[in-house]
Amino acid sequence: MKIWTSKTETAAVKKIAADDMMLTKDMPTAAGSKMLDGYLSLLEAEALTRMKNAGYGICGKANVGEFAVDLMGETSCYGVPSADGVLKNAAAEIVQSGEAMAAVGLDVNGSIRRAAAQYGLVSVKPTYGTVSRYGTVPVACSGETVSVTAKNIADCREILDVLAGHDDKDGTSLSEAECEKIRQSAGCGETVRRVAVISEFTEGVDAKTAECLNAAKKALSENGIEVAEISEKTIAAARIAWNILMSAELCNNVSRYDGVKYGYRSADANTIDELYTNSRTEAFGDLLKTAILYGSDTLSTENYMKVYDKALRVRRLVSESFGKLFEQYDAVLMPACSRSAYSEDITASERDIAFTENLYTAPASITGLPTVTAGGVQLIGKAFSENALFEAAKLYE
Amino acid sequence: MEQDTLRKLELLNQLSLNEVQKANLLAFFADREKELDVLNAMNTDDVERMVHVMPIMTVVREDIASQPFSRDELQKGAPDTNQGYWCVPRVVE
Amino acid sequence: MRYETVIGLEVHVELATQSKIFCSCHAKYGAGPNEHVCPACCGMPGMLPVVNRRVVDYGMKAGMMLNCTINRTTTFDKKSYYYPDLPCAYQTTQWFAPVAVNGLVEIETSKGKKNIRIKQIHMEEDAGKLVHDISEDTTCVDFNRTSVPLIEIVSQPDLSSAEEVEAYLERLKNLLRYAKVAECAMEHGTMRCDVNLSVRPEGSDKLGVRTEMKNMNSIDAIKRAISYEVARHIDAIENGTEVLVQETRRWDDIKGKSYAMRNKETAGDYRYFPDPNVMPVVIDDAWYQAIEASLPEFPEVKRARYIETLGLGEYDAAQLTKSIAVCECFEDAYAVCKSAKDAANWMLSEVMSILGSRKMTPDSLTLDGKTLGELITLVSAGTVGRSNGKKILAAMFDDPSLSPKEYAERNGMIVSNDTGLIEQVAKEVLAAEEKAVADYRAGKEKALAAILGKCMKQLKGNCNPQVLRELLIAEINKM
Repeated sequence: MKIWTSKTETAAVKKIAADDMMLTKDMPTAAGSKMLDGYLSLLEAEALTRMKNAGYGICGKANVGEFAVDLMGETSCYGVPSADGVLKNAAAEIVQSGEAMAAVGLDVNGSIRRAAAQYGLVSVKPTYGTVSRYGTVPVACSGETVSVTAKNIADCREILDVLAGHDDKDGTSLSEAECEKIRQSAGCGETVRRVAVISEFTEGVDAKTAECLNAAKKALSENGIEVAEISEKTIAAARIAWNILMSAELCNNVSRYDGVKYGYRSADANTIDELYTNSRTEAFGDLLKTAILYGSDTLSTENYMKVYDKALRVRRLVSESFGKLFEQYDAVLMPACSRSAYSEDITASERDIAFTENLYTAPASITGLPTVTAGGVQLIGKAFSENALFEAAKLYE
Repeated sequence: MEQDTLRKLELLNQLSLNEVQKANLLAFFADREKELDVLNAMNTDDVERMVHVMPIMTVVREDIASQPFSRDELQKGAPDTNQGYWCVPRVVE
Repeated sequence: MRYETVIGLEVHVELATQSKIFCSCHAKYGAGPNEHVCPACCGMPGMLPVVNRRVVDYGMKAGMMLNCTINRTTTFDKKSYYYPDLPCAYQTTQWFAPVAVNGLVEIETSKGKKNIRIKQIHMEEDAGKLVHDISEDTTCVDFNRTSVPLIEIVSQPDLSSAEEVEAYLERLKNLLRYAKVAECAMEHGTMRCDVNLSVRPEGSDKLGVRTEMKNMNSIDAIKRAISYEVARHIDAIENGTEVLVQETRRWDDIKGKSYAMRNKETAGDYRYFPDPNVMPVVIDDAWYQAIEASLPEFPEVKRARYIETLGLGEYDAAQLTKSIAVCECFEDAYAVCKSAKDAANWMLSEVMSILGSRKMTPDSLTLDGKTLGELITLVSAGTVGRSNGKKILAAMFDDPSLSPKEYAERNGMIVSNDTGLIEQVAKEVLAAEEKAVADYRAGKEKALAAILGKCMKQLKGNCNPQVLRELLIAEINKM
């Protein structure tokens, strides 16, 4: 088990850990994959550059699951982080131990939020386009977002303030003017007054998670915030559509790892096809292979309209459903995961759990909406409502 | 999902699965196939596809060339290079 | 039975930009292997595509030149396949909303004029280059061309002969060069062509089996390939020599044969999907109008103007407007020498003849038109003799900064106004050429030309031939 994949000295007082999806020039970036073991990038993630420029020190790289699509980091080529029979998450361990004041990483499929919920830490996945993705290892570009994990809301907000801002090097990065326009059309208030709890997401969670939910609801209510239980089937379908979009994009993005230019190359490569196939087959793990093949299938000529195009339309429906909800409510409260801990052998019994447990994380991923995980639960808000979410989450942090 | 489709997917994606992986994958595909019913129950006929979550447009850059990376740096971690080229087993066209 | 050939072309044209389409690497030729490469165009993770404005400018401009409708919202998509020249194993191209659609190009052949419909023009990135001759058991990969911007012009299957294909390609080249969006030189690989061809009984409305020949890069090879394929198809249909299948074939120009390419089982399964990292390119009115305003005078308009306004003959006007480089040189020369006829004459005879002798194409002309105008003025005014003028022109090809007047002065090429000297030379030559004088008197005009030539030689060409001629006749009459 590896918590740190690299460490480096920094004189800065405030130390930040980068997860291993963030490219660094002075430390290797493997994205948890044998394919990139030892890979030294010529680029530095814009997010990390901004941290450094603001006087923070990057103290090392936190281990991640292979291309960050798994549950908690269990698919890393550097071994499964686990202790006492439960799965651990490297970045969360680092923040919890105080080795770094915060971790900056790429939220691809919710592992950062699940870890924050289970460790009782605070994490923010800001509105898509707020933080530059330049210098991150691309996986599911239409929804993945640079995120922050810290011990408390104040630290989380402090780091996000440094990270947020337009970057010319990322075509999906929002300008100030664009942010303002979207903020206005979303009708963002500065405070959360009404919160919806969607029943489709609260059924079937374990006792401890339910407890967190209840505690949050209670704290919100006690502070005069209206909490309403509603049913919303469309948003619950986000997971299925996200699995399609994420896998297809992943398939395409990791196709560049072919043993030719850098990274792992099979010793058994007498022809170009052997080089490709053996390198990829030997270097990629099972979950990644599953996602690649599934994603490829959704894009086949036969399936494109039925599956991929359908998922793009469902994404719109999910987004519109949130839009409608936000006419009545300021935020949606939901779990970040179904369990307060995963047993270390969970993927043996539930092999595809990364594609089911993301029920809770897919809604914010597929829509690009901001979400703050605190007190073991998530609060999803309108675009650019991070401040309001932070304020509300303080009540149950 | 047929074995044949799976084999084609392996070829397309330059992967080779063992028998256990194949069996697992077929089960995985079957689960996803079932889930599609949920999406199919949603009427999306008049729904515009959503590729990008933010309603913004491309900001183009000016056509100015620069070359800040050197070939030596780029090829530092390369498995096989020769005279400035990346090398692969001979490709028959 | 009589057959007709149905041909559609996919023409790839490399755009003449400074930098690549999604990264800022140089798009120019001529660097060592992998010197015009960055992490993005060699497939490393982390960089994100940022669209080069000029690529969209040129895509639009090409669309307008070919009478297309411009998609005011145009988007990019990813096309996936594995090949060593494709570092990301995907190519970013336009599948769902290409920059331009539904165009029309008029061509002219020996059978008259014909309209060829354009299905679409899309913008995309080029692939790299594979080099096979450096080592025996490896293939070497150069990513300098990776991500260099291309447009692909897809025609409808409206072409029906090699002659039409040639006329269409020449027309595309002419229009795109007029618009200055591309070099379109097949010999440099900046224009390449996929030929889709089928054959059917004349008058049939059902298309035959279609074969595709990819990456053709010479018009002559295309013509040979078309005639070979047509014969092969007809032979197959009539004599059952083989079963035609829809396939991609390679044309071997040396052997003069096409071969079926080893088709992979997975060929053609490109898994296109919209690129999440490239936002839609929205062409607003201001942008659209700016490009529209930058369109050049079309070749036909120019041709008509040359005839109507400048008074050139139809043939001369047609010849000049075949190449924008020639037109520009001509117009600059005309602006200086003020005689369209003289300028056209010099362009079509002297300039073309030097180009021909140097095996240069009219498109590669870099001669400065203003300097040519100065030269024409010197010759027309009789300051420099025409044959010396030609010598000066040749020198101008070698030295673009050359001043014709200074060159003429330096090399003793200024026509002499010293009538005494001319008279003296004329008398000497006439005295030595008794037989020629006799012949001339006997009515042989040619004899006078010979005498004139001898005088010119002695005078090093620096004499007004009309003046000399009159003087000679006067002297002969005196004799």
